[in-house]
Amino acid sequence: MKRLLMVLLAALPLVGSAAEGPAPSLPDGYPRSYARIIEEARKEGTVSIYSATDSSEVAPLIREFENTYPGVKVEYADQNSTEIYSRFIAEVAAGQGSADLVWSSAMDLQVKLINDGYAQAYASPEKPNLPDWAVWKNEGYGVTAEPLVIAYNKRLMPAEDVPHTRAELETLLRTKKDFYQGKVASYDPERSGVGFLYISQDVEISRDTWKLVEAMAGTSPRLYTSTGAMMERLISGEHLLVYNMIGSYALRRQKKDPSLGIIFPSDFTLTMSRIAFIPAEARHPNAAKLFLDFLLSKRGQAMLAERDMEPVRTDIPNDVPSPPAEQIRAIRVGPKLLANLDQLTRLRFLKQWKRIVRGR
Amino acid sequence: MNRSTRIGIVLASAVGILAPLLLVVWQSFLDGPFFARNVHPSVGAYQFVFDDPDFYRALGNSVLVATGMSLIALPVGALLAFLLVRTDLPGRRWLEPLILTPMFISSIVLAFGFVVAFGPVGLLSLWVKSHLGVLPWDIYSRTSLIVIAGLTHAPHVFLYAATALRSLGSDVEEAARSTGAGPLRVALTVSLPMIRPALLYAAVLVFFLGFELFGLPLVLADPKGELVLATYLYKLTNVLGIPSYQLMAVVVMVIVFIAVPLVWLQNKLLQGANRYVSIKGKAQSSRPISLGGWRWPALAFITLWLLGVVVAPVCALVLRAFLSTWGEGVSITGALTLEHFQELANYPNLVRGITNTLVLAAVGGAASVAVYTLINLAVHRWQSRWARAIDYMVLLPRAMPGIVAGLAIFWVFLFFPPLQPFRQTLLAMWVAYTLVWMAYGMRLVSGSLLQIGPELEEAGRVVGATPARVSRDVTLPLIRAGLVGSWLLVFITFVREYSTGVYLLGPGTEVIGSLLVSLWAAGAVDIVVALSAINIAMVGCGLLLVTLFGRKAHHG
Repeated sequence: MKRLLMVLLAALPLVGSAAEGPAPSLPDGYPRSYARIIEEARKEGTVSIYSATDSSEVAPLIREFENTYPGVKVEYADQNSTEIYSRFIAEVAAGQGSADLVWSSAMDLQVKLINDGYAQAYASPEKPNLPDWAVWKNEGYGVTAEPLVIAYNKRLMPAEDVPHTRAELETLLRTKKDFYQGKVASYDPERSGVGFLYISQDVEISRDTWKLVEAMAGTSPRLYTSTGAMMERLISGEHLLVYNMIGSYALRRQKKDPSLGIIFPSDFTLTMSRIAFIPAEARHPNAAKLFLDFLLSKRGQAMLAERDMEPVRTDIPNDVPSPPAEQIRAIRVGPKLLANLDQLTRLRFLKQWKRIVRGR
Repeated sequence: MNRSTRIGIVLASAVGILAPLLLVVWQSFLDGPFFARNVHPSVGAYQFVFDDPDFYRALGNSVLVATGMSLIALPVGALLAFLLVRTDLPGRRWLEPLILTPMFISSIVLAFGFVVAFGPVGLLSLWVKSHLGVLPWDIYSRTSLIVIAGLTHAPHVFLYAATALRSLGSDVEEAARSTGAGPLRVALTVSLPMIRPALLYAAVLVFFLGFELFGLPLVLADPKGELVLATYLYKLTNVLGIPSYQLMAVVVMVIVFIAVPLVWLQNKLLQGANRYVSIKGKAQSSRPISLGGWRWPALAFITLWLLGVVVAPVCALVLRAFLSTWGEGVSITGALTLEHFQELANYPNLVRGITNTLVLAAVGGAASVAVYTLINLAVHRWQSRWARAIDYMVLLPRAMPGIVAGLAIFWVFLFFPPLQPFRQTLLAMWVAYTLVWMAYGMRLVSGSLLQIGPELEEAGRVVGATPARVSRDVTLPLIRAGLVGSWLLVFITFVREYSTGVYLLGPGTEVIGSLLVSLWAAGAVDIVVALSAINIAMVGCGLLLVTLFGRKAHHG
């Protein structure tokens, strides 16, 4: 066994070099000048990516990229969004070289990095195919459009209770307050950056959100920082309903466990995006451009859809369940997100949240 | 070892320990990341934390949890040690590695196991509920947290108490027994008082670990919003939207200020430690105390503890790894699956993660034990301020919760030019692990050293050997078995470590523990449990080795 492993390990570099074939052709519709980027990228040889998306989720996509552009190897490190931020700014400050592409679901942190001048401009040939909310200054590109859903336990939640709008959810929690004691869960905006982002966006779209928060508070909700913990306790039946669960995770789980129910609230469904940018000091900028374009290309987007991450492009045929277009409110990739990081606004919001939910 | 070598080693360790810590101290007095362009000195972070009512709530909870768990862990651990080491309890050789198990499972994973077993819809809870109609406990209460923390930390006390008891001659106990004292009385009035220094040391360590507790409160207390210092610190990474290192640094400073008086107290209490030297120039053997009629109640006590603290959560967790779904209204047999393990194959970093973990634990663990031994030898039988300084310093890295220690060490490797080339290698990870577990490892080695009577080393010196030669030819061979034992324990500890490596994780330096943390956050619970099951199997193999080695040492 050990010997076999060693032989396999020894063979790895050979496989890499054998794959280098003739120059890959230009993707359809790309300008002729793009051949230069491909050529430079092959000279650079690698692209280093810091990402908050699980590597098991994107492994097929990375393989496909490496097959399409032989000679460009992907170094993929997945971490949580706070760690990516900490690591990236420290590495840039030390002048030690950092990632060539930063791709994270913490939209506000990404926008802050772009705003602080950490990104370089790049007009992707795929840009015309993207909705205008998904691109900011040719620097930040939203790669997905994943809805935030109400997830519930079909096994244990009475079918007649299932709400379809926030108003229905609010009424349910007020009228069956005792039944739902300790049975409702959501992100904790105090301890989870994305949790803060989602609930504050809800409030921005509708002030009625505070009434919903009040109704949830009445059921002593459990608040989490990790999707995993929340999902686990939902499927086990400890909780019956999760508000603002990331849809793509719920959809993936649902394939294995049909007892998970998913609702795209019909009053409005917020969608979030994983934003990618190329750092100003990327050491392999051309390889990074290549990878970014691949993520945004039809092929790349289709592969994300295969893993239940809704594509940002609307011209990709896919069977990922998603809400009707008119119902969607996308969180815009842009400077408005910076308001989220303004200390006073943030602390004021959290104070109000705490007063309602924790009664202090 | 001569004086200048000793001082050299002490200084080198001081630099290694203090560099990351000083970085944190400095960071606490700034208004932004220390490496940013526009930062200014400020006490704003202290004001923010000391004005925050949540901080005092978290501090109060930490004091309560640390006190409560020490009060539980101390008697349980001491009693377990007495029964397993000093008595003729049936099956004690095989019980010992089982008792150590909770120390070697990541606390997040273990806590999750408790939820699967004893949670509101846990496998055991549902069974109890079907018989009683109600669930008599709430795993998310503060009391549960204290009880679980106390019981899972009993092995720490056990470890130190057992080491001390092993080196105790049995003549005094036999004397007590012959005058008609029962086993319990012998334990309480003879054996345990004799090992008071070890017990006190363990008690202080457990109390201190209580402040650093992260995994258990994260899983058991967080959903209800109950914070302890370490989870409060975690909250600070998000409360302002961007990671606020200065605020985190302030919390670390608070923990350091709690630690220093504790170490002082410990040193005061330990001053009589050399009264308990027991491997002396003359041979001595110990005989187990006969438990008589107490055999079965004693065995029942241990079994009960094992079932509740080890078997139930570990089995629940392993079972969960083979289930597609679980909980209220689910038939277990219908949900069995191997899918999670198959899914692991999609995980490109996994094989590397397993290999790295093994290399880091086996080779790195041995290197760490060498470091701990070197430092120990440097201060061994050296009545000097330098030696006392090390006593204080080794506990300091533990004052930083693993995740902060990892971040600080990442900074040191990033901003200190000579270290930069090593940042993306396992070496950085090894340094971090060695520092974080220094207090524990140092004590493992010094436990062996303290048992050697000074006359053996003096004998070496009398015949003209240099201090270095005495260390090499007398001291080291005498503690060889102890060192191998320490290495195995450090091996298992490194296999399970999870938070320290998070910032040092990169392509090529993945370790299982850090992968678990990132997977847990991303919601991939199925893969987390499957990976944990593999991790537990690895730990199990390590423990088996400890047992086999222990037997060999025992017979050899």
